[in-house]
Amino acid sequence: MSLGEGMSAVADILTLSHVQKAFGSKHVLQDVDFSIPQGSIFGFVGENGAGKTTTMKLILGLEKADAGVITVGGQPVHFGATKTNRITGYLPDVPAFYGYMTPVEYLDLCARITGISQRQRRIAEMLDLVQLKADKHRIRGFSRGMKQRLGIAQALLNRPQLLICDEPTSALDPAGRNEFLELLASLRGQTTVLFSTHILSDVERISDRVGILHDGRLQACDTLANLHQQFGRPQIKLTLPDAQTAQRCGQVLRPLPAQVQANQVTVPYQEAYETTAQQVLRALVTAGITPIALQQQSATLEQIFLEVIGNGHTTNHA
Amino acid sequence: MATLPTMLKKELLETWRTYRFLILAVVVLIFALMSPLIAKLTPDIMKMSFGKTLQLAIPKPTSIDSWTQFYKNMTQMGIFVVAILFGGTMSQELSRGTLVNLVTKGLPRWVVAVSKYISLVVQWSVALTASFLVTWGYTAYYFPDAKTPYIWQGFVPLLLFGFFFLAVILFGSTLANNSYGGLLFTILVVGGLYLVNLFKAAQNYNPISLIGNNMALVQGHKTLGELGPGIAIAIGAGLVLLAGTVILLNRKKL
Amino acid sequence: MNTNWQLLADNLPIFIPLILLELILMVTALVHVLRHPHYRFGNRILWVLIVVFIQIIGPILYFVFGRGDERRG
Repeated sequence: MSLGEGMSAVADILTLSHVQKAFGSKHVLQDVDFSIPQGSIFGFVGENGAGKTTTMKLILGLEKADAGVITVGGQPVHFGATKTNRITGYLPDVPAFYGYMTPVEYLDLCARITGISQRQRRIAEMLDLVQLKADKHRIRGFSRGMKQRLGIAQALLNRPQLLICDEPTSALDPAGRNEFLELLASLRGQTTVLFSTHILSDVERISDRVGILHDGRLQACDTLANLHQQFGRPQIKLTLPDAQTAQRCGQVLRPLPAQVQANQVTVPYQEAYETTAQQVLRALVTAGITPIALQQQSATLEQIFLEVIGNGHTTNHA
Repeated sequence: MATLPTMLKKELLETWRTYRFLILAVVVLIFALMSPLIAKLTPDIMKMSFGKTLQLAIPKPTSIDSWTQFYKNMTQMGIFVVAILFGGTMSQELSRGTLVNLVTKGLPRWVVAVSKYISLVVQWSVALTASFLVTWGYTAYYFPDAKTPYIWQGFVPLLLFGFFFLAVILFGSTLANNSYGGLLFTILVVGGLYLVNLFKAAQNYNPISLIGNNMALVQGHKTLGELGPGIAIAIGAGLVLLAGTVILLNRKKL
Repeated sequence: MNTNWQLLADNLPIFIPLILLELILMVTALVHVLRHPHYRFGNRILWVLIVVFIQIIGPILYFVFGRGDERRG
């Protein structure tokens, strides 16, 4: 990741400072504070109900913040009708269209509302990008994947500087997901992308920056590389013949913090690899357990995520 | 402002492609045809059922019977059909989330409310006027008498009541989160107005007076001027409801 | 019987458009029922019966309450 330091020189397209939101007595967001540099792809991670959608709706002016300021492209966001929506594109988690329209008619409606010039050409471009045909078929008969593609077409129609996607890949099959991620990645540099997901491998694949939302707070927000450095403890992964042996292995390795999952045992470590590895091997030999494989690996984003939300306290913004 | 014609076009396309306008037009035209027909057949039907046993002097039907049928059909069935056809106009958008894409593109919310109202008013005006003309034609052909000289005086209050009624429907549809809720609101409002109408002092100011005096107006027993207070209240209430719809929609989560 | 035919003949200018309109309503609804196999409730046979045999009200009921939502897939 060559990004990182270089990015801070670029202006931030989106900033949230001390944003709070409660629904009744439930505090959904407490003091959320982060910014996204222009041109980056920002993965927004959190469990269901962590407040990802709420944060996005606040940025779009669809919900009203209780406190705090949000700016998009330097302009503050207002609830209701916000001017900042002119430079924003939004793909809701389940985009809803008018089933009685054809995709061309729908995009034409959107284009007229945003007031873009050369509508016909832009619509043709967009349909081409998402591989939908400009024929007489009404949206009513579209599959989920086709609707998602039309959704991205309408979100990108006005050449937004900031594209916000709410769980864009959760409903797609693996092939569709792959395609969609490549499309998002191709926007890198020209359009800033903020997308939420609970599929961490998606974030790992395309984003430069990650924000981890938990308990209404942003627990971490940094480049992937920095997150790895900060939270990702290296580990040794042992593969055993069966789950039973893995269980026994886990017991044998105590007091090392071994985690057993099916027939695999992972042992995170802090000192040098050799020290821990020798300790593990010695214990295994003593107990007479033979692993099928032993690997040294760095932590996955999933483990970082668990580490971060396990910590529970707000961590630095780099 | 620039988006108002765009959204109006969308509303009209919607009502056309979802067959709502077609149904409205066909149904009110059927009522329009049935009005003179029923007026004409009533004596024959009575004769067929009682004629042999009962020596009744059945009066010859007149244009009054034809128009009476028309206003009865329109103010009962016609209004009801309008309510069930359009009760979901806003609530469906809200429950399906179809406005999210448009509003996040900068569409002002008041444009949504106003374009819907204009589209409803246009549909009602076209359908009602067409059926009025049809009844007029047949009535003039079958009952060429001079008993109903003030035809337009009966029509105008019904048209205006429709404008008020559509504002009630739109408000109810925005208030509720499903089309049945909107329908319920409309029924409650109209029921309430009929209750108010039980008090003589209030009758003159009640929008219901716009659909209760049509035959008196047509025959010249009443003038439009006498309905002035009711008309003013209906228009005023319609505007207030439209403004209320905009305010409600501005506060709605999409 | 004679009078009935007389009645019909006298009122033909009304009966013809009236029947035509009811047919338009019925056929529009029937085509929609047959081409869109998803209903909010009930099934195809039920809606065909309602639309064909309940004049005026049947098609309205179908378009307002019976017509299915967009396809979910």
